[in-house]
Amino acid sequence: MRAREPDHHGFVDSDGLDIGYEVFGSGDPTVLLLPTWTIMHARFWKMQVPYLSRGNRVVTYDGPGNGRTVRSSDPERFSTDAEVANAVAVLDAVGADRAVVVGYSDGGKFGARMAQLHPGRVSALILIAPNLGLDDPLPERDPIRERFFEPYPENPEGWEKFNAAYWRDHYDDFARFFMGKVFSEPFSTKQWDDGVGWALETTGAILEAEMRRPADPDPFEVASAVSCPVLLIHGTDDRIIPHQGSVRAAEVMGASLLTMAGSGHGAHLRDPIPVNLALREFIDGVTP
Amino acid sequence: MRALAPVVDETLSRDGVVIHYEVYGSGDTTFLLIPPAPITHSRIWKAQIPHLARRHRVVTFDARGNGGSGRPTGLADHTRAENVADVAAVLDATGTSRAVLVAHCHANWWAIDFADSQPERVEALIAIDPGVPYLGTPQPHWVQTAATFDDRLEDPVGWELFNRHVIIEEHRRWVEFFFDAQLVEPHSTKQYDDAVGWALESSGSVLVAGEEGIELDLPGREEFVAMCERLDLPVLVIHGSEDVCQSPEKGRELAEITGGDFVLIEGAGHLTMAREPVRVNREIDGFIDGKRRVEARARTWTRGLQRPARALYISSPIGLGHARRDVAVAKELKKLRPEIEIDWLAQDPVTRVLKAEGETIHPASEWLVSESAHFVSMTNEHNLHAFQAIREMDEILVANFMIFQEVVEDGNYDLVVSDEAWEVDHFWHENPELKRGSHVWFTDFVGYLPMPSGGDREAFVAADYNAEMIEHIARFPRIRDRALFVGNPDDIIPETFGPGLPKIRDWTEEHFDFPGYITGFIPPAPDEIDGIRDELGFRDGEKVIVVTVGGSGVGRALLETIIAAYPLVKDLVPEARMIVVAGPRIDPGSLPEYPGLQIEGYVERLYRHLSVCDLAVVQGGLTTCMELAAARRPFLYFPLEDHFEQNYHVRHRLDRYGAGRYMDYAASDPDSIADAMATEVGRQVDYVPVETDGAARAAAQIAELL
Repeated sequence: MRAREPDHHGFVDSDGLDIGYEVFGSGDPTVLLLPTWTIMHARFWKMQVPYLSRGNRVVTYDGPGNGRTVRSSDPERFSTDAEVANAVAVLDAVGADRAVVVGYSDGGKFGARMAQLHPGRVSALILIAPNLGLDDPLPERDPIRERFFEPYPENPEGWEKFNAAYWRDHYDDFARFFMGKVFSEPFSTKQWDDGVGWALETTGAILEAEMRRPADPDPFEVASAVSCPVLLIHGTDDRIIPHQGSVRAAEVMGASLLTMAGSGHGAHLRDPIPVNLALREFIDGVTP
Repeated sequence: MRALAPVVDETLSRDGVVIHYEVYGSGDTTFLLIPPAPITHSRIWKAQIPHLARRHRVVTFDARGNGGSGRPTGLADHTRAENVADVAAVLDATGTSRAVLVAHCHANWWAIDFADSQPERVEALIAIDPGVPYLGTPQPHWVQTAATFDDRLEDPVGWELFNRHVIIEEHRRWVEFFFDAQLVEPHSTKQYDDAVGWALESSGSVLVAGEEGIELDLPGREEFVAMCERLDLPVLVIHGSEDVCQSPEKGRELAEITGGDFVLIEGAGHLTMAREPVRVNREIDGFIDGKRRVEARARTWTRGLQRPARALYISSPIGLGHARRDVAVAKELKKLRPEIEIDWLAQDPVTRVLKAEGETIHPASEWLVSESAHFVSMTNEHNLHAFQAIREMDEILVANFMIFQEVVEDGNYDLVVSDEAWEVDHFWHENPELKRGSHVWFTDFVGYLPMPSGGDREAFVAADYNAEMIEHIARFPRIRDRALFVGNPDDIIPETFGPGLPKIRDWTEEHFDFPGYITGFIPPAPDEIDGIRDELGFRDGEKVIVVTVGGSGVGRALLETIIAAYPLVKDLVPEARMIVVAGPRIDPGSLPEYPGLQIEGYVERLYRHLSVCDLAVVQGGLTTCMELAAARRPFLYFPLEDHFEQNYHVRHRLDRYGAGRYMDYAASDPDSIADAMATEVGRQVDYVPVETDGAARAAAQIAELL
């Protein structure tokens, strides 16, 4: 049973694609919880929705390729600007002029770009373990990722599984590996089970299409252009997007930073209480 | 002693009326604290000033008619316009372009009027128990007595005392009635004494002029409501639910009209900032910080299982005895739990001991107000009225509690150990929602006992303090997870807490554990004594008398009397050698000299001298006396006069051990002291042995909580 069922749900046409969204609770400001990399879907906000919706209208939706939204294998659908267009379409559909926008991981990239392109729609931004492109390369992963479209080795280990052909052949194994990296804290079996389950609702082929998307906009330009209040939340044991990326983002954006000592890449799922309290404090603080 | 001294203490003069103002602290935001006068003055803010001034600039003033300001009796000197002009004059004189106004009772009227006329100078309004016209409903007693205010009443009682003639002719009677009625909370004797004392600094005629002057330029209802509606600034109203001066409905309506926040303090009367200082300070913090939440800042939250076990240790700074026993307990605790990190929130002189022991002192320690300095300021010659000194320390305890609370909220402490840290124990019971971590309470005495010199009033007040403590523990047993009495049940004095209250021993046995006495050092074994005497330069055949008064600077009078006995004792005991230790705060060169008399300033590890001497002469502090008892040395002890702990609790305990010879300072002269020294020096003693495992037993009980 979900802790909180949506008050209402629907689909909005975003440039011909049906985007599935859900609305919970009421109250200003509206809080828009963005999707992230397609390997997860909107249920990854399950620890936040019941709490936030007691004081605010909370809106979640899925991007192309997972959850309630149509699975698309068109790389153009996964461009940052197309993702931003989906967010705007959802805000329009629920009749919200503006919202506090919350993004996790890749959703951080979407949120920052949305604040740059549509400053009037974003009253404040909360970015959890955001993939803003400001972090240093991850030596154990990034050189391998360069060979993403090449054949994978016979018995791939670790990040060698980050490979298009491997996804086609053994997507479930990749998902198990990846969620282990996301939930790096001890005793994270439930979060790992959830993450793998969400991952298996889509396919390796969809994720591969996402990897073929058009280039992301320049990260420093995007971050510098954000003018609304920003709260960053980032774990020090994040093995996907290192914490130092948010330290840099806090400087560039003049943002507040909540450091979660010992937390991994899924702090909002693994350490939901301090994250929820920080969200509430920040949302209330920026509400006029 | 005040918890904080002003950085500016000046007066200004407006049309011949002097206005006294003060500035505290510094910061981007200025608070202007406005007291209602002439009934009271700026000291009513004493629990707020030290706390607010840590981060902000605080300006306060004595409104006309009381404190350091003039006492005009003309009605025209007490109009709304004059009072509001004083607010502006104080802001001008202090170079304050803009301030957060904090006002109590009818001073809110001046604050609102000022904010209406000069909105650009007011950042926010914090209205405490506001007494503003027209809003809410007036208390019925004000309405009734207004009708008879000018009459000569036959035999006025109760609220009829609100009468021109009574106030002028029997000012004290009115003031005492008024504040007794306002302080509806039980156990408010200190706030009552303060409020009555401040009121009596003014006079009945000035008070009446204040009451009547307001009427001269009273705004109409519509005018006043429109003024409130125009206020375009953040407003916080704090009101006691049982306020019998200004009904809480006034506050609620003011908040509604101004769109402000309303905080009702359930069960509180009219003096919330004095009687509930912690809550009020935190409401002010929350309100001011709330307006700034969007400012960027960085913080860290650490996962639970990643946190090291941490303890915060608070050691009472009054005397050095606590420091040594607390260090001993901490060392034993680290033996049991090597992984524990202990921070000390401590002040001088405790920090000297801690530094020497390599302990970690929390940086917030430097913000603490010195309780030791307060005690010195309350000492006169050989007299320290300890209960009154604790009672007068109320504003220092609030100031230090606010610092403590921030430290525990930031520090992820699993454990708080407070050794007679009165502020922690008292204000956690008063504000139980603020408790963090497990709490271990240490004390070596239970129960305030009145001194005869304090008379009936002190007997009443001491019993009232005890009753409040008993109620605290009965209502909130969860605040003290362990209560440890430093000693044994037999050490507890056979007295009661006061009329109708339990016997101290019965109650203490029920609510405390008894780890035994904690000396903090191991006395030398009999076969070690000669070696130590040799090391210290004591010669064979010498009878060494060590005289010490501790490190506080209190005790010069006693030292001088004992020095005067030196030639006399030398006649009686020719082999006597006297070593006087002046301590760090008394200049040894300023004491009288005799040939052969040895006067030292600071002596390192003085306990070694004491543990091998032939006679010690000391004050009546527990630690030094018990060290001597443990070392089985003969000693004379002179309790400080009017010091309830030294005269009752300590003396009872020493009698139990059969240790030391009690000396009455007032009844002693050089002759009697010399006689006592001659009788006692070198005497073989038969004291009850003092246990040496107290620290380990206490640590074992604390470790159970980790």
